Amino acid sequence: MPNAVKHVLFILVPLIAVFAVLPGLYQNHLLLFNFVTFLILAQGVNIIYGFTGYLPFGYVGFFGAGAYGFAVLVMHYQSPALVAVLAAGLVGVLLGLLLTPLLRLSGAYFAIANLAASLAVLHLVANPALEGITKGPYGVSLTGTFNPSHAYYAALVVLTLTVGGVVFLKNSSFGLALQAVREDSVSASMAGVNVVKMRIAAWLASALVAGLAGGIYAWYVSVFYPDNVFSGEFSIFAIVFALFGGVATISGPIIGVLILYGVYNLIGFTTPQYFQLIYGLLIMGLVLFLPAGLVSLATRRGWHVP
Amino acid sequence: MLTYALVAGVLFGLYFSLVGMGLNLVFGVMRIVNLAHGDVLMLGAFVALGVVALAGIDPLFAVPLAFMVFLLVGMLLYWVLVPRLQGSANPEMLSIILFFGLSQVVEAITTIFAGTSERSIQSRLLGTVFSTIKVQLFGGKPETGPIRILGQGFPAPWVIAAGTSLVAIGLVYVYLYRTRLGTLTRAVMSRRDEALASGIDVDRVSAAAFGIGLGLAAVAGVFAPFMFGSITPAFGADATVTSFAIVVLGSLGNPLGTALGGVVYGVCYMLVQTYLSSWADLLPYVLLILILLLRPSGLLGRRVRVA
Amino acid sequence: MSPDTKPILSVHKLVKRFGGFVALDGLSFHAAPGEVLGLVGPNGSGKTTAINVISGLYAPDGGEVAFDGASIGGVASHKLVHRGINRTFQVPKPFMSLTVRENVRVALAYGHIGGAPPALDALLDEYRLASVADRPAADLNSAQQKMLDLVRALATRPRLLLLDELAAGLNPAELDWIAERIKQLAAGGMSIIVVEHLMGFIEHITDRVIVLNAGREIFEGKLAAAVKEPQVIEVFLGGEHAA
Repeated sequence: MPNAVKHVLFILVPLIAVFAVLPGLYQNHLLLFNFVTFLILAQGVNIIYGFTGYLPFGYVGFFGAGAYGFAVLVMHYQSPALVAVLAAGLVGVLLGLLLTPLLRLSGAYFAIANLAASLAVLHLVANPALEGITKGPYGVSLTGTFNPSHAYYAALVVLTLTVGGVVFLKNSSFGLALQAVREDSVSASMAGVNVVKMRIAAWLASALVAGLAGGIYAWYVSVFYPDNVFSGEFSIFAIVFALFGGVATISGPIIGVLILYGVYNLIGFTTPQYFQLIYGLLIMGLVLFLPAGLVSLATRRGWHVP
Repeated sequence: MLTYALVAGVLFGLYFSLVGMGLNLVFGVMRIVNLAHGDVLMLGAFVALGVVALAGIDPLFAVPLAFMVFLLVGMLLYWVLVPRLQGSANPEMLSIILFFGLSQVVEAITTIFAGTSERSIQSRLLGTVFSTIKVQLFGGKPETGPIRILGQGFPAPWVIAAGTSLVAIGLVYVYLYRTRLGTLTRAVMSRRDEALASGIDVDRVSAAAFGIGLGLAAVAGVFAPFMFGSITPAFGADATVTSFAIVVLGSLGNPLGTALGGVVYGVCYMLVQTYLSSWADLLPYVLLILILLLRPSGLLGRRVRVA
Repeated sequence: MSPDTKPILSVHKLVKRFGGFVALDGLSFHAAPGEVLGLVGPNGSGKTTAINVISGLYAPDGGEVAFDGASIGGVASHKLVHRGINRTFQVPKPFMSLTVRENVRVALAYGHIGGAPPALDALLDEYRLASVADRPAADLNSAQQKMLDLVRALATRPRLLLLDELAAGLNPAELDWIAERIKQLAAGGMSIIVVEHLMGFIEHITDRVIVLNAGREIFEGKLAAAVKEPQVIEVFLGGEHAA
C-alpha cells in the first residue's frame, strides 16, 4: 500500500469520522467547532512553517480578512453562505498575493513583518472611516446566514482538504522540494527547484486555508468584532499547537491541537491570568526542552512518524 | 501647528529611540528576538508607580533603580534561557516563540498582582527633584506647567523623557566605543562565529548586552505612564511592535541607528497624529512593512537581509 | 582535447563588482566538452565568484557568459540547471534534515528535462553513499556531504559541471578515487571546471588550467607550463603560498 493511501486511511479518515459523529454525542458544539478551526489553522501553519520555514506570526491576518470577506459579501450582497465562504478563501489568497514581497525577508524579519501586516489589516478593518464597508470597530451581525451546524460541516470539509493537502506534501516530490528550499534555498535551486514559485505556492495555500477558516468562523459565530477575528491568539495558538506536536509531519499538528487545546479547555477560562501563566510556561518549556515537538520523542528513537 | 508637531515629534522620537534601543542591542548581539521587550517596559512603568506610591518621591529616582534591577534580571535570565536556545536548530525563529512565552508569563504575573486597571502617575510629580534643587539654590517658587520651546509649550515630562533618552543613548555610545567590553560587544555583533573562534567570551559579552538591553527597556518604561497617559499589564505587546518598527527603521543590529529610527518614527507619528489622526494607528505597521521591503537593512544599515 | 572542438562554455570580459570591490575584472576563458579545466589562483582572485556567476547565483555586471552559444548571464540558477549546468559548493549545503536518498530525489524530480533520469541507487553506490542512504544528511561527515553534493549535481545530468574545492579535506586514498571518477565523467563528454588549491590534484586531473589574479586570467595552458611563467610565480609567491 503506498504511504499516501495509508496516511489517508489511518489519519485523515479517522480524524474526520470522529469529528463528524461527535456533535451527536457531545453537547458543546462550539468547543468542537473550535477544535476543527484550530486543526485547520495548525495545519495551515504547518504548510508554511513546517515545509518552508517561514514563521507566519501574523497568520491571523488571513483568518480575519476571510471573516470580513464573508461578512462584507453577506451584508452588502446578500450572498449565500457557501459563496461567501469561497469568497473568504479568495480574500485570504488575495491578501497572500499582496504580501508575497514579504517572502523576500528571512528569519525574524519575515515573522515581524507578517505580524505588522496582520495588525495593519486589523486597524484598516477597524477604522471608523471605513464604517460604511466593514462597520469599523462596531462589529458585524450576520443573523441572516446563521446556521452553526452547516458551518460546522463546512469546516470539516475544509479540514479534509487541508489535511489532504498535507498528506500530499508529505508524499510528493513537491513537498520534498519545499523542504529542500527550507533547508537551503541555494542548493535547492541547484537541484533545479524554482525557489520563488515554490515559496509562493505554499504561502498562498496556507493563506487560502486560513481565509476559508475565517469565513466559516464568521458564518458560525455570526456576531463578531475586529478584535475577535484578528486576535493574535489565533496565530499564536496555531503556531504553538503545530510546534508542540511537531511540524513537517501530518500527525504532529493534529496531536498538538488535541492535547494542548484539550488542556486549555480543561484548565478553563475562569481565571484567565492563571491560564496565561501556565500557557506561557508551557510554551517556554516546549522551546527549551522539546524544540522539534512531541514527534521528535519518537523520531529520536529512529521511529518513523507520518 | 507644524512647528508643534515637529518639535513634539523630535521629543517623542528621542524617547522612542530609548524604547527601541534595548531590543536592538539584544538582537544585534544574540540574533534573538525579544518579544518580551515591551513587557519589560511595562515592568519599568510599575517600578515608577511603586516608587511614587511607596516612597512618594520623584519618579525620576526610579530610573537608576529600574536599570539596576533589570540589568541583574537580564543577566540572570540570559544564563537560564539563551545558551540552551542557541544550542537548538533554529535559535532565531525559536527565540520568537520562547520570548512570546516569557511575555505571557510576565503579563500574567503582573495581572495577578496588579489587576487589569489602567494606572497613571500625575505628570507634575516627574522632575520635582529639579524644581526642588532650583528652589533650594536660587530661591523663588517651584515652577510647574509646560516648558517652552520655539514659542510652543510642551508638557515637562516629554522634555525630561527626551533628555534622559539622550543621556542614555550617549552612555550606550560610550559603552560600545570607549570600553573594552563594548568593543568586544561590537565584535560579537559583526561576526559571532569569528568572535567565538578568536577566544572572546561570547557568553559574558552577550549576558552583559542582554542585561543592558533589559535595563534600557525598563528605563524607557519609567516614562511610559507620562508619554502614553496610562499603563496596564497588557501594554507590553503593543510596545513590542512599536519598538520593532523603530528598530527596523533605524537598522536592525545597529543600536545607534535606533536613535535615528526613533526620531524619524516620532516625527512621522506626530505628523500623522496632527493631520490624519484616524489613520495614526496604522502608521507603525505600514511604516515597518514599507521599510522592510524597500530598505530591509534600515536607514543606516549596510547588511541586506534577504532570503 | 582537440583544438577544433566547439566550446560549450565561453566567458568573455566578465565583470562582477561587490560595492567598490571588483571581484571579476574582465575575465575571459572557454571550456570544451570532455575537458577538465582548472581554475587556479590565490585567495580572492575570483575563482569562486566566476563559478557563482556561471551557475546563476550572481548576475554579471558586464561581459558575457555563453553556454551552448546562448547568453546565460543573469539567468536564474534553476533554469541553468535545466539547461545542463550544475555545481558543487566549497562548503557543501545538503538538505540537512532530509535523508540522503531524499536529497537526491529532489534533484532527480526537478533537475532535468527529458531523458531517463540516472538510477538513484546506482549513483549512491558509485559515490559510496549507499550505506547511509536512509540517514539524514546532517549525520554525514564532511567528505560524505561533499559526495552527496556531487551526487545531487550529477542527478540533474549536467553537461557542464563546476567543482568548487571538491578535493579539500579528502584523504589521499579518497583523492585518487575521486580523481578517477572526475576523469571518467569527462571521458563521457562532460565539461568539468575545477577550482582547487591542491596543485598535485590539479596537475593530475586537468587538461588545461586558467590562472587567475585580481579577477582576470594571466595564464592559460598546461599547469606544468604555468609554474615556469614568471608572472604566475610572482602572483603565488607574492600573494599567498597556496601551492
